[in-house]
Amino acid sequence: MSEMWINMGPQHPMTHGLWNLRVKIDGELIVDADPEMGYLHRGIEKISEDRHYNEVVTLMDRCCYVAGMSWEHLYILASEQALSIAPPERAEYIRTMADEFQRLGSHLMWYAAFVQDLGLMSPFLYGMRDRDLILDLFQSFTGARMTYEYMRVGGVRNDLPPGFTDRARKVMDWLVDRFREYDALCLGSDIFRKRCDGLGVLSQAQCVELGVTGPMLRSAGSSRDLRKDRPYSAYDRLEFDVARADAGDVTARYLVRMEEMRQSVRIVRQILDWLDTHPGPVMAERVPRWLGAPYAPIGREDYLLKRRYPKGVGFSAIEEPHGEAQAYVVNEGGEHPYRVKFRSPVFANLSAAKHYLVGYHVADIPPIMGSVDICVGECDR
Amino acid sequence: MTVTLYSVAQSIAQAILGAIASVLPPAGRGVASAPVVTGLAVLLFAAILLVASMLNTIVLIWFERKLLGRFMDRRGAMHVGFAGILQNFADGLKLARKDTVRPREADTLGFWTGPTAYLVTSLILFGILPVSSGWNSGVLPLSLLLALAIFSFAPLFIFVSAWSSNNKYSLMGGMRSAAQMIAYEVPLLLSVVAVVLVSGSFDLTTIVEQQQNYWYGGPLLLALIVFVAAMLAEMERIPFDLPEAEAELVEGWNTEYGGMLFAFFMLSDYVRALVGSYLVVLLFLGGWTMPTWVPSTLTSFPLAGIVWFMIKTYIVFGVFVWVRAALPRVRTDQLLRVGWNRMIPLALLSVVLAAGVVYAKCLPVFGCVPGLGG
Amino acid sequence: MSAAAPKEKPSTNPILWVARPMATAARQFAKSLIRPSTIVYPFERLEDPKFREEVAVAAGKPLGVGAVWDNYRGVHALNIATCISCNLCAFSCPDVCIQMVAVPDAQTKRLKKCPEIDYGKCSYCGFCSDACPEGCLTMTTRYELSATKRADMIYSPEKLYEVFQRKLPMNPIRLERPKNEDAILLDAPLCIGCNACARDCPTQCITMLDIPKPTPKPGEKLPRRIWKEPVVNDSDCVRCGTCISVCPKECLFWGTHT
Repeated sequence: MSEMWINMGPQHPMTHGLWNLRVKIDGELIVDADPEMGYLHRGIEKISEDRHYNEVVTLMDRCCYVAGMSWEHLYILASEQALSIAPPERAEYIRTMADEFQRLGSHLMWYAAFVQDLGLMSPFLYGMRDRDLILDLFQSFTGARMTYEYMRVGGVRNDLPPGFTDRARKVMDWLVDRFREYDALCLGSDIFRKRCDGLGVLSQAQCVELGVTGPMLRSAGSSRDLRKDRPYSAYDRLEFDVARADAGDVTARYLVRMEEMRQSVRIVRQILDWLDTHPGPVMAERVPRWLGAPYAPIGREDYLLKRRYPKGVGFSAIEEPHGEAQAYVVNEGGEHPYRVKFRSPVFANLSAAKHYLVGYHVADIPPIMGSVDICVGECDR
Repeated sequence: MTVTLYSVAQSIAQAILGAIASVLPPAGRGVASAPVVTGLAVLLFAAILLVASMLNTIVLIWFERKLLGRFMDRRGAMHVGFAGILQNFADGLKLARKDTVRPREADTLGFWTGPTAYLVTSLILFGILPVSSGWNSGVLPLSLLLALAIFSFAPLFIFVSAWSSNNKYSLMGGMRSAAQMIAYEVPLLLSVVAVVLVSGSFDLTTIVEQQQNYWYGGPLLLALIVFVAAMLAEMERIPFDLPEAEAELVEGWNTEYGGMLFAFFMLSDYVRALVGSYLVVLLFLGGWTMPTWVPSTLTSFPLAGIVWFMIKTYIVFGVFVWVRAALPRVRTDQLLRVGWNRMIPLALLSVVLAAGVVYAKCLPVFGCVPGLGG
Repeated sequence: MSAAAPKEKPSTNPILWVARPMATAARQFAKSLIRPSTIVYPFERLEDPKFREEVAVAAGKPLGVGAVWDNYRGVHALNIATCISCNLCAFSCPDVCIQMVAVPDAQTKRLKKCPEIDYGKCSYCGFCSDACPEGCLTMTTRYELSATKRADMIYSPEKLYEVFQRKLPMNPIRLERPKNEDAILLDAPLCIGCNACARDCPTQCITMLDIPKPTPKPGEKLPRRIWKEPVVNDSDCVRCGTCISVCPKECLFWGTHT
């Protein structure tokens, strides 16, 4: 058979979102690959310029539908820097906890999608079932299961409900047990190991060159983790290890993500202990009226505000579940951000598709792309 | 005890024709003559067999859905009928109502004949495999050989329908399917050879009846394992479902099919799954023969053999479902490597072991079993 | 803390090729036989504590996970009687799905403006209920919302009031007002004393006080105006900004008392 291009996407079971992977195959062998993104572009950065600072948070939830809280955190950190507002300590801890919940939720979602690509249907449902507990937790303190709208400039919307920490502890205990089950289903299976070992290898140098970050980079032997290297919120006060593997293949990525989930549980437990003993405000004291909950700016006053409020720029970079996300917010003094720019880790990770696909088989595409952990929402924004 | 399907059909035919003859004028009394009764009985026999087998297949699909649901911590179909048993009929009706869209560039003849022939050749198998003594189309000295020969038609039709739908995914799925089925045909047949060596017969009824005292699955354990693995590949079920690996090939060779033609494929897949389970039970697990400790009041019940056979079949199929719930699918090259490098030597070894069993047929380990070795 | 030692070998390795996953699946099967984790949705509901706990116990799940169901942000409930028509919900809506429409008040029989919500656009962010100063627009736990026509997705104030009357669990979270709030300030020389702000203020916290009419110097023409000035009662003011938006001279603005 001669070489031919096939389109895997934009509507294809492998894509997990709206994007297109064009692969050139020779029989079952991949000789070229060309990812096409942009099907889900909604212009979030541009819309943000027409939204008040807190209203952009609603867009952040829709930016990445599996890690909405991380993106809220990212944006809020940059905005706070641009507006020179500092959140109270309790809010920082709550944010960190929410971030780690989101990491757990996102990784569980990744696990479900990944094993389903391999043809394993039951772990898919186990993963989704356990993610549901995380969503329950989210719902109990934010009021929504996926689109949280929880973080605000200067803090978080509301404090945790009574009894929350006990429930969260129970969920964490339950999850730790489940991780053992996941490992038995995947690592304990000879077929899984045969499918995933030595697949989609990306060396550390290649990762650095291509801008590949997150678990993919850490699976290649690097220990770069922004939570350690550039601590934000409460991470510098918490104890955890950076998950890391050396092989750079699909199994290594699996190992890194699983270890990250365990570390997340460890972090969350520390935070829950802290939160039990440190009550306090969750919103900053000095927040301008048009920024702080619950009001939105009204009327024709913005020209006055422009005069009053100091300008500034904010930059933030956080370790999102998919990799390193960065945000840049320019405050020109108005009630809206003047410019918002995001750096999506998924975009970089996906763009390198050619480098980790060529040379493998067509049947390897689902596990390899699954191990990348794609969220097209944030990739296209 | 010896109620045969044919005798049932014959009595029904006689009753129908007798009733017709009694109302007809004397000139028409000839309709109840022996040749006509025989002809109608054969038709009825075929109809009963077909309907019963199809119903069995549909119940099998329901069984898989429910069982898989529990493996996956959910319930499976549950709203249509009792515990969702009518869900598959509803699905079938829905598919029947749907239009079959043929791609413009597809080859008409192949596109239509592929699924139809696939279904028909799968259904023929029901006429050959006995589910109880007397419940098949008569004495076929080479029924095992015939069944396996018809069973291996499938790659041809799959490939025809895959190629004629003119879709890259279909084509790749079809080629994988052909390669896989041909690769696994060899160990499948070799493991059957082990059974034939021990039983000395190609007639399934004889093979079953010789397992009255012990199942071939015991001494021929290796052959059983090879047979089940090869059968999984032949049935294209997880972990060997790569011809329709939905993750990369959308739906493999039936990507372009919709409506009733898709239903044909689905149904044939399950017909083959049922037939595969039948064969495992027939060849290795003693078929309809009851263990000796079962009281004779139960064994003398007319349909006891069939019930016993079906229980075994569903347990065997349950194991297939269990495998599906727990394992990911393998890759094409790994599958073929396992097929040619592992399965065939193992199958050959099982043949050697079977020869050993035949040689040692009177060793006290197995007891001196009459009928062993033909 | 240093980074963990590189994990070369995973802790879990295959036993007998596939024994581990098969055993795990079988264990799950045995657990699910008693009761799977799924909830049979229209008949059983997660918000019903009975089913939630039943499932949790059967599946060995941590108990009472979704217990704070009241927190959920679902369909709004509007208490028309306490609504002060301040517009804050409409202003705070990022999706512009809230419109203020005139409805008759239950007691006074006079028309007043209340929010009408288009659920085809609503994103359930909760900014409107956070913004509501009187707590009359809240979010309930109702989440089943379907319609065959687009017009049915638009909930009029009366319909929202019906939701309120059902006494569903309401979102219990009430946000505190920021402490250092800005206030409405007056650019006095620009004011013409027209009473528009006091007339439209939803809380009637603006009173027009007389100011002395200056004696004009010879040759100086006094501005044509009413010699009154608005004074805002800060403790009653809900900071809705209606006065600013109706002021014809743009003499009211946000600021901080010095």
